[in-house]
Amino acid sequence: MLIEAILLALWAGIAGIDQFNVLTHLHRPIVTGLVVGLILGDVKTGLLAGATLEFVWMGMVPLAGAQPPNVVIGGVMGTAFAILLDQDPKVAVSIAVPFAVAVQGAITLLFTIYSPVMHKMDSYAENSRHRATDLLNLSGMAVLFVFNAIITFLPIYYGVETARSLVESLPSWLMDGLTVAGGIMPAIGFAMLLTVMLKKEYVAFLLAGFAIVTYSDISLLGLAILALAFALYDYYRGESPLKEGKKGGI
Amino acid sequence: MASEDQALNRNGEAGPQEKVLSRRDLWAMAFRSFFLQSSFNYERMQAGGWLYSLMPALKKIYREPKELAAAMKRHLEFFNTHPFLVTPILGIVAAMEESREKPDTIRGIKVGMMGPLGGVGDAVAWLTLLPITAGIGAAIAMEGSFAGPIFFLLTFNAIHLVLRFGGVFYGYNAGVRAIHKLKTGTQAISRAASIVGLMVVGGMIASYVKLSTSAKVPIGKDAFDIQKELLDKIMPNLLPLAYTLLMYFLLKRGYSPLKLIVITVFLSVVGKYFGVL
Repeated sequence: MLIEAILLALWAGIAGIDQFNVLTHLHRPIVTGLVVGLILGDVKTGLLAGATLEFVWMGMVPLAGAQPPNVVIGGVMGTAFAILLDQDPKVAVSIAVPFAVAVQGAITLLFTIYSPVMHKMDSYAENSRHRATDLLNLSGMAVLFVFNAIITFLPIYYGVETARSLVESLPSWLMDGLTVAGGIMPAIGFAMLLTVMLKKEYVAFLLAGFAIVTYSDISLLGLAILALAFALYDYYRGESPLKEGKKGGI
Repeated sequence: MASEDQALNRNGEAGPQEKVLSRRDLWAMAFRSFFLQSSFNYERMQAGGWLYSLMPALKKIYREPKELAAAMKRHLEFFNTHPFLVTPILGIVAAMEESREKPDTIRGIKVGMMGPLGGVGDAVAWLTLLPITAGIGAAIAMEGSFAGPIFFLLTFNAIHLVLRFGGVFYGYNAGVRAIHKLKTGTQAISRAASIVGLMVVGGMIASYVKLSTSAKVPIGKDAFDIQKELLDKIMPNLLPLAYTLLMYFLLKRGYSPLKLIVITVFLSVVGKYFGVL
């Protein structure tokens, strides 16, 4: 089992990188199912479980960056358990989901813990050390690899059932709380943008954008077009010959 | 006239553009965009990867270490968009940096594009391309065939790569053309870019910040749902706006972003524990 557990862990590590970098989508269950099947010597069950899990995860995509239950761990665990426990691939889903939800919470924590890296990058940038910022950016992939590999290795090697009861013993308020935090987090990013962009004269436009999206079904692209319309109006109004002695812009 | 800013002299109205970027640099940027999310974090999201992706252009444009440092700092600000459709933004921003547009203008364009392209990318890649290619692939795999996963990887990535590598050239050429047209009045353009950028930020606060309360106050037999019957009646998205503004004021008062992140995680877990979030 050691060799298989190591191979599965390696695959989970690679898939974990692909989930956020390069994005060939070899991390999707449909591909993972085949690979896990090859590692564990049951390609047919692997393909079936992978396809089943693919349909389950079809709508669970990172819309606007919000993390859905983790598709990498869900795919690897679900398929591996279907083969190792000799279960129907449909049952594999119910085994995979608790793991995927737990890892979703852990990913939120990981992205939180990674925040201080930006301050290191700031100080490299101040000295125009672009090789250092390059390396620091790429370093995150090593973290993702190790994170996914360990999370896959332990339950496969030490037994599926123990792992499952451990995951189920985690309090749900903790996992759900981390999910809630992930949803609120963009507020901090927007607030940081506002500290550099917002001037008194522009507050009206910030409010308008907020109100338009809150009270209508407009998409952000629609909003951007509307904003462009405001901006063009403002631009040509300000360009009246009285104010500035120059010819029309275009 | 935009003559106040001596550093912008190269923007002289008719003077020929100094072109320093080559096709090779644009290719390098598109390739680097594969690693846009390598240092993803909740403080500035894709900012580290954005700088990494733009670096081939910045290195060529800013030869002076001081200038380069300033440009690098500017491009470490918060950034988040769709990981495929980042390349048109890279192209446009590279074109603007090349012609030394004002930082405020560049920031406005960057922020104004990241929200809409994020939305378009979600719709195109996650809600159309992925379900179709993975759906067909999974249907083939259900019959026990290897061809399923292979079909999925080939079709999905054919379109993925066209979007990614095509986007950078499209963005750059569009940017160069637009800059030629908009040579005059950088002040006014910067103002226009800020208007677009801030309206989009306002919209993103309403659509991307997810915060609502599940608290209910029992009144007799019924429960009074605070979110539905009170907050939503005052204004939907009241909590996301309030929380963003609170973060803004705390940042202004010198709170570090990291501190705010830790506070947010703590409040979320505690809120969930007591059942109010």
